[in-house]
Amino acid sequence: MKVTLNINIGGYAFHIDEDAYHDLKAYLRSLELHFTGEDSASEIMADIEVRMSELFRARLGTYRQVITIDDVREVMKIMGTPEDFVDQDTFSAKEKFTSSSTRRMYRDPDNRIIGGVAAGLAAYWHLDPIIPRVIFLALIFAGGLGIFAYLILWIVLPEARTTAQKIEMKGEPVNIHNIKESVKNEFERVRKNFKNI
Amino acid sequence: MNSENAKAQMRKGILEYCILLILSRSSCYASDIIRELREVELIVVEGTLYPLLTRQKNAGLLSYRWEESQQGPPRKYYELTESGRAYLKELNQSWNELVESVNRIRK
Repeated sequence: MKVTLNINIGGYAFHIDEDAYHDLKAYLRSLELHFTGEDSASEIMADIEVRMSELFRARLGTYRQVITIDDVREVMKIMGTPEDFVDQDTFSAKEKFTSSSTRRMYRDPDNRIIGGVAAGLAAYWHLDPIIPRVIFLALIFAGGLGIFAYLILWIVLPEARTTAQKIEMKGEPVNIHNIKESVKNEFERVRKNFKNI
Repeated sequence: MNSENAKAQMRKGILEYCILLILSRSSCYASDIIRELREVELIVVEGTLYPLLTRQKNAGLLSYRWEESQQGPPRKYYELTESGRAYLKELNQSWNELVESVNRIRK
């Protein structure tokens, strides 16, 4: 027995196994990431989703109801991953892959206490968030410089909103495996929140 | 020198040319274009085609219309625009010149 989810791809409703859903979501995010910067990224994604929904319907046929992980893998193989596009898109893809592996400083909204500044610094330097927090507090008591520094960082640092930014914040290269991990974590968190309600 | 890179560059230019060639015969649904490009082994994964089509459309070489389909949602049918035809004419000529140049050197 498996849990299934309901999703909408290209205007069509599908039932999908939970594990297949994770893979599909990570895949679509990786494509989205690949096409950012393209003029009509949303249009390209819409075209791809419509085509994927066609492929899924063809695979399901009349009797099968649920998309499995094998279906997702097969469709991914047909559509190709951003790594496959490198062949045809040599320049843009290569640039994107290398530039996205650099580390950038963000505010971390997931672990924040006030504005996520300390959590962001901690993620950037791979520290325990308690360390920047203690330093900020110490600076506050030693003349109030801490408040000033915190506010400036709060204004200057962007918040890590997208999956790609959250991965960048930790300095991991942005690729499909990392996105998959991070989507999975996000999903688990949402599920836990639901359970707590 | 990496021959893969050179090959990819060649294929990329030719791919755009071939999309226009296919569309010059009749308007096509993306999957029809994919099928044809697959048969001649110019394309490996379908995902490469969609950005190219969108780019050519944005450049004014292609336009599209929606057509009802029996199997599902309406499909986008692409066709060449006037400037697309003029562009293709130029590409045809430069292709002929290229082939000739290469053949003369290869002799």
